[in-house]
Amino acid sequence: MITELLITLAKILFIIGVTVGFFAPILTWVERKQSAIMQDRIGANRADILGFTALGLFHAIADALKMFTKEDFIPEGANKVLHTLSPIIAVIPAILTFAVVPFGGVYNLFGHEVNLVISDLDVGLLFVFAIASIATYGYVIAGWSSNNNWSLLGSMRTASQMISYEVTMGLTIIGVLMVYGSMRLTDIGAIQEDFFRWGIFLQPLGFLMFLTAAIAENKRIPFDNPEAESEIVAGYFTEYSGLKFGMFFMAEFIEIVTIAAIVTILFFGAWHIPFLTTATLLSWFEILGTTGSNLLVMLIHVGVFFAKVILFIWLQMTIRWTLPRFRYDQIMKLGWKILLPLSLANVLVTGIVILMLQ
Amino acid sequence: MAYYVNRNVKMTWWERSYLPEIFRGLYITSRHFFINLFGFIPFFLGRKKDREIFTVYYPEEMVEYPPAYRGRPVLALNENGHPACVACGLCEIACPAYCIHIVPGCNSGKQNEIERWPEKFDIDYAVCIFCGNCEEACPEEAIFMSDDCEISMLDRKKMRYTKEQLLVPVADLKERIEFTRKMYAKWNY
Repeated sequence: MITELLITLAKILFIIGVTVGFFAPILTWVERKQSAIMQDRIGANRADILGFTALGLFHAIADALKMFTKEDFIPEGANKVLHTLSPIIAVIPAILTFAVVPFGGVYNLFGHEVNLVISDLDVGLLFVFAIASIATYGYVIAGWSSNNNWSLLGSMRTASQMISYEVTMGLTIIGVLMVYGSMRLTDIGAIQEDFFRWGIFLQPLGFLMFLTAAIAENKRIPFDNPEAESEIVAGYFTEYSGLKFGMFFMAEFIEIVTIAAIVTILFFGAWHIPFLTTATLLSWFEILGTTGSNLLVMLIHVGVFFAKVILFIWLQMTIRWTLPRFRYDQIMKLGWKILLPLSLANVLVTGIVILMLQ
Repeated sequence: MAYYVNRNVKMTWWERSYLPEIFRGLYITSRHFFINLFGFIPFFLGRKKDREIFTVYYPEEMVEYPPAYRGRPVLALNENGHPACVACGLCEIACPAYCIHIVPGCNSGKQNEIERWPEKFDIDYAVCIFCGNCEEACPEEAIFMSDDCEISMLDRKKMRYTKEQLLVPVADLKERIEFTRKMYAKWNY
């Protein structure tokens, strides 16, 4: 009982440490540096500690310090309670999603079965979408409570865009569910041990549509209408400063990691290396004993999983710095007239193929 | 001739489907990304010239200016350790901003003494417009535009440089001297 609790606690600490402690600050650096390198620039490299710049990595610390020391401003006429509450509503779901995201398989360590997922829900995939759509409330409330025209416009755009793309996202997932026959993310991950059953081969169109809808859900370029700088100042967080703004910022970066993790699990073989089953890996390290070989395989799998996550973070960053922003009507047209029929057709074709193969 | 922009471009079906064009864009940006990423590695190994990125780490790294660059004007100090200037005042007259102030030194009549020299030669960089007229007017190859452009300071009074601050050995100005000889062709060498 106590060991179970300790294992769960260790997993929670690991996930919080990796997402909030590692990815969120490092992604601010990645975004600056990657955009610079893509545009033939050098990028932020001036923040230093005792003359040591570390490629500009200290800019993340400088950002955090700046946000801590800034004035926490609430505009006149704003609803103080909601204004304070909305960044929390926005950031909590982003972190909470990781409760059901598996980052490794099941391993036999010191006589215990260790499943590398905090909570192995049998409705895991539904839980992810349920929690992710709560974040919409955070953005809508942020815009409404600020008593600012631009904020309100931004939050209206957020609401319409997120609801439109959630439909597509849900329908895309149905194809994946039909193929794997399970909503449990660990099951979906375990099935993809066979390289030719990776989601990208079974649902190629589903992958493209899921990625599009997920980027739209995250409100990043090319879908950044809710916070379009050149149109509506900063959208729903116009009136936010200091750490509250930082929370919106962090929510966005954690969502990037979430999307990368979900895409990895659903379409890119989760923690598996192509053509290398867990049994093969275990037999390679047989000399180390049960615990030793399991530990080594676990480390390899977690490493592979996060390598894939980093690859998809890179892809999202590349998309963000390549494409221009869509117009509002183009977003709606893409969402309702193109992606929705396509995702419905995807479900139909998947169903027919499955019936034919039976 | 008016330039007509066709705003009703007919796109092919391939272009209109948007996705292949996105991949083309992604290919271009990620190509830049990887080329520059690997271009960074020789830079950190100390080989600065191999870098693909042209941005310069300014205070640590300096750009080599071409000889045609007009930085702050300086006075040439010839091989004998005297200013080449003879205080004729032509540059003072040529200056459109009136930033040059010359007080000539007078010869006491001794043997082996140079004929004329500037007692005071001040240039007020707060007023100077870096036009290069003084250099063109000078008959003695005495005043030159250097490649130094870092003359910003907090006190305006310090912008007025005296003769001692302006003097630069003629050896340091060789490129610019050759350039002016070609440019103005007034000495007919």
